[in-house]
Amino acid sequence: MKKHLSLTSLFIAILISPAYTSAIEVAFETDQSLPIVYLNIAVKAGAVTDLEGKSGLTNFLGEMLLRGTTKRNKEQIDIALDQIGATLEVETRAEALILRGAVLASQLNRFLEITGEIITSPSFPENEIRKLKSEIISSIMEERGRDSALAMRRFTQFMFGTHPYGKPVLGKIKDVQSITRQQLLAHYNRIIHDQLLLVIGSGDTAANQIDLWAAKIANERPSPPDKSIASILVSKPIDSNSKRLQLIDKPERTQTQINLGQVGVRMTDPMFFPLYLGNHAFGGGSFSARLMVEIRVKRGWSYGANSFFRHGRQPRSWQVHLFPAAKDTPNALAHTLKMIEELREKGISQEEFAFAKKSLINSAGFLFNTPKKRVENKLLERTLDLPDGFMKSYGPELQKVQLSDVNSTIKHFFKPESLAISVLCTAKDIKDALLKAAGVAAEKIEIWPYTAE
Amino acid sequence: MKLFNKCLIVISAILTIFVCTDCATKGIKGEQELPLVTEKSVTPLVGSYEVNRYLFKNGLRLLVIEDHSSPTFAYQTWFRVGSRDEKKGYTGLAHLFEHMMFKETKNLKDGEFDKILESEGVEGENAFTSRDYTAYIQELPSEKLDLIARLEAERMVNLVINEQAFKTEREVVQNERRYRNENNPDGLMYQEIFGLAFTTHSYHWPVIGYQEDLDRMTAKDALDFYKAHYNPNNAVIIVTGDVVPANVARTVAKYYGALEPQPATPTKVEPEPLQKNVRRQQLKLKIQVEKLLMGYHVPEVSHDDIPAINVLQMVLTGGKSSRLYRALVSTGIASSVESYGMEDRDPSLFVISANMQKNKKATEAESVILRTFERLSKETVPQQELERAKNRVNFNFFENLDGNNERAYFIGHYESIANGFELGLEQQKRIQSVSAADLQFIIKRYFDQTQRVVITGVKGEEEKNK
Repeated sequence: MKKHLSLTSLFIAILISPAYTSAIEVAFETDQSLPIVYLNIAVKAGAVTDLEGKSGLTNFLGEMLLRGTTKRNKEQIDIALDQIGATLEVETRAEALILRGAVLASQLNRFLEITGEIITSPSFPENEIRKLKSEIISSIMEERGRDSALAMRRFTQFMFGTHPYGKPVLGKIKDVQSITRQQLLAHYNRIIHDQLLLVIGSGDTAANQIDLWAAKIANERPSPPDKSIASILVSKPIDSNSKRLQLIDKPERTQTQINLGQVGVRMTDPMFFPLYLGNHAFGGGSFSARLMVEIRVKRGWSYGANSFFRHGRQPRSWQVHLFPAAKDTPNALAHTLKMIEELREKGISQEEFAFAKKSLINSAGFLFNTPKKRVENKLLERTLDLPDGFMKSYGPELQKVQLSDVNSTIKHFFKPESLAISVLCTAKDIKDALLKAAGVAAEKIEIWPYTAE
Repeated sequence: MKLFNKCLIVISAILTIFVCTDCATKGIKGEQELPLVTEKSVTPLVGSYEVNRYLFKNGLRLLVIEDHSSPTFAYQTWFRVGSRDEKKGYTGLAHLFEHMMFKETKNLKDGEFDKILESEGVEGENAFTSRDYTAYIQELPSEKLDLIARLEAERMVNLVINEQAFKTEREVVQNERRYRNENNPDGLMYQEIFGLAFTTHSYHWPVIGYQEDLDRMTAKDALDFYKAHYNPNNAVIIVTGDVVPANVARTVAKYYGALEPQPATPTKVEPEPLQKNVRRQQLKLKIQVEKLLMGYHVPEVSHDDIPAINVLQMVLTGGKSSRLYRALVSTGIASSVESYGMEDRDPSLFVISANMQKNKKATEAESVILRTFERLSKETVPQQELERAKNRVNFNFFENLDGNNERAYFIGHYESIANGFELGLEQQKRIQSVSAADLQFIIKRYFDQTQRVVITGVKGEEEKNK
C-alpha cells in the first residue's frame, strides 16, 4: 500500500527536535498485508508493584489512564477512540502493564495523538475513581461465578502466599475500595516514565512514525531522579516445606477445578529447555502427553488435563490443571500426584523424549511466524529480561538437549513433597477423600468459602 | 470441541464481514488441466489476497489463498452439519461425533492421527461444532501439505467407531458439558435463551446436547451420523498460506478425488413460528452479581437486513461510547455489556448480555435496554454516531482476516452456511451504505419488545446471605 505523509504526522515530526533521542525502546514491524496497526504501550511494572494493602493498584492505574486527561473527560476519550474505530484496552500482568491498541491505518495519526495524551497527562478525576471502584469490585464478584477463573486466582494466592506473585491482578475488594487519588498519582509518577516504558507493535505504517511519537512521550515523561526505579525486581519465591491442600468450597459442584504446582524456572535458566521438553512429554498440551492419555483418553475423567510453566523475571510456577467430575476427583488427584512422583523418579522414556523433541523442533517456527506473534515475543523479551530473539532460539536450543539432561533436570527440579494443591469443590462431599488422595495431614488443609478473599 | 481452550459454539457475530458482487471472478491462468476438477475460479478477497476456488467431480469444494509471508499454512475441513441437523432425543450427536474423528481409522490406530501430526510440528490442531457446521483445523509447516491431505482424506471415509472408545469419549463430552454449561452460569443462560426462543426449530437445543440424550447414545448412532454427513460432497476444504493453489488442487485430487459422493441427507428442520409474547425465565445460580441475557429474533445470515443489524450492534455495544455502555456501565448499573448477532443459516437470535454491578438488579438493566430501543425507534441516529459504528465494523472486518487461520475461518463460515464466501464480502460492502433510516426500519422490524426473550440470573438463596 502506498503511503502518504498526512498533515498530522508532519505536525508531529516538526514538533520533535532531531537532536532529541528517545529513552523509550521502540520495536515496530511494518506489515502491509492489511490496513490496520497494532500498538502496545507497555510499562515494565505490573501487579507486583502494588503497594502493601493496595492490591489491584497497578491495574486500577491503567484503567484510570483511559478515564480523563487534562484536555478531555472520559466520555470525550471514548468518543474520540470509537470515532476512528480504534480499541485501547488495559492488560495487567504480574510484571507488566500494557495498553493494547489497534486502529485502522488510515486513522493512526489521530490514535497516536489521543494515546499520547492519555499517557502523558491523565487527570484521575474523583468521580471516575468512584465509578471504577464499583466496576472492578463488581467484576471481582462476577468472577466468583466462573469456577475456572476463580480457582486460578485462589490457587495463585495460595501457592505464593505473601510473595508479590500471589497478588491478584484485579485486587482484593477491600484493597480496591481503599485506593485514593493521591496513591494513584504517586504510583503513576513511580512507574510511568521513559525508563520503564516500551512501545511494541506491527502494522501498516512506517516504523519511523512510531519512533518519533515515542520520542515525544519520552520527553514528557522523563525518569525520576531515583534511578533505582528503572528496574523493579521482586525476590525469588520459595516452595513450602511440605505438601499443602486448599479447598475452595462452593455448593453444588458437579465438577471440580484442580490446580496444583510448585515454584517454576526462569526462561534463561540452563534447566529451562530440558524442563520444557520434559513437561511437553508429561502434560504440555499434546494429546499424546502422559497426563492427557491417562486422565482423558484412557479414563475420560476430565475434558482437559495439562501442565505448564508461568514465567516471570524470577522463577514463577509450574502448574497442573484438570477439571474432573466431582465423583472422579479424588481418583484423578491421586493418579496425577502419583504420575508426578513417577516422573521425578523415572523421568521420561527414550520414546517420549524422541517424540517430544521432534514435535517441539518441528513446531518451533510457529513461535514467531506472524507479525502478531513477533510483537508478543518482543513484549515477553522486554518485560521478562530475555535476550533478543529468544523465541527464535527454541529450535536450536532444543536440538542440543539430550535425554540424560531432561531426566537429571526433572529429578532435580520436581518437588512432589512440596506441592501446593488447590481444589474448587463442594467440600462436604469429598473433603475426606481428597485428604487421602493428596496424602496431606489433616492440619495442612485449608478450607475457604468461595466468597472469601 | 476437541480441546478445552477454545469456544465450542462459534459466535458468528464476531464475523461482521462482507461480499463483492463486482469483484472480478476469473479463470485460473497458467495452470495445466487439473484432474477431476469441474470448475475453477479466482476471486479477490481483501488487499492482495485472492481466493482460488476448485470444485471437484465428487462435489468436494476446495478454496486456496496463497500467502508466502511465513513458511506455514492452515488447513481446515468444514462439514455442513451441526446441531441443527440432529433429531430430538439425539441432541449433542454432531459434537460428540466430532470427538470421535480423532480416533481409529482403517489405516491408523487410535491416537496415531494426533501423534503423526504432532511429531511433524502441527500447531493449533483442533475442531469445533456449531449449530450449522463442524470444522477440523490445524496449521503446519509448508512441506506437510501431502501429509495432512492424506490424513484428512483417510478420516473422512475410513473412520472406525469402536464401542469402548465411544463410551470413554462420551464421558469426556459429559465433562465438557459440566464445564461449559452445568457449572458455568453464562453457558447455562445461553442454553436457556435458545431453549426458550425456539420451540420447534432445532436451534432449541444446545450444541453440546442434553445429558440424558448423551447418556443414551451408542456407537451405532455415531456410525450412522458419519455415513449420513461425512462425505466429499458435504465438505469444504480451505488452505491458506505458503502454498501454490494448483499444487494444492493436485494434492487434494490425489487423496480425495476417488472418494465417492454420497446421496445427500437433507435435514427436515421445522420452521419456528412467530413469537407473539415476551418469554422470560429466572435462573437461581451460584453467583454474586446478577446477570441478564436478552434475545431478539433476527433473520438468517444471507438476509438483506444483516448489514444494518451489524451496524446496530455497534451502535448498541461497540466501544465505550456506545449507547448501552453509556446507559448501563457509565451509570453504575452494569460492569459490562455486550451484544452478538448470531449469523446462522436459519433465522436466529440477536443477544444482549450484561453483568450487573453489586446490588443492582438485572431487571433494572432490562428496563434501560427497553428505553434505549424505544428512543432508537423514534429518533434518528446522528450521522457521526453512524460513522463511528461503521468504523468499528470495518476494523473488526480486517482484524478477523488477520492470519491464515482467520482467513480460512471466514471462508469456511460463509461457504458452509451460505454456499459462498462472497456473501461475507457483499455484506461488508453493504455496511457502508447503511443509513439511519435503515436502522430505524430494522429496530421496528426485529426489536419488537413484545417478542423478546429474557433470561435473568439471580443469586440462589444461599448466595443472598453472603
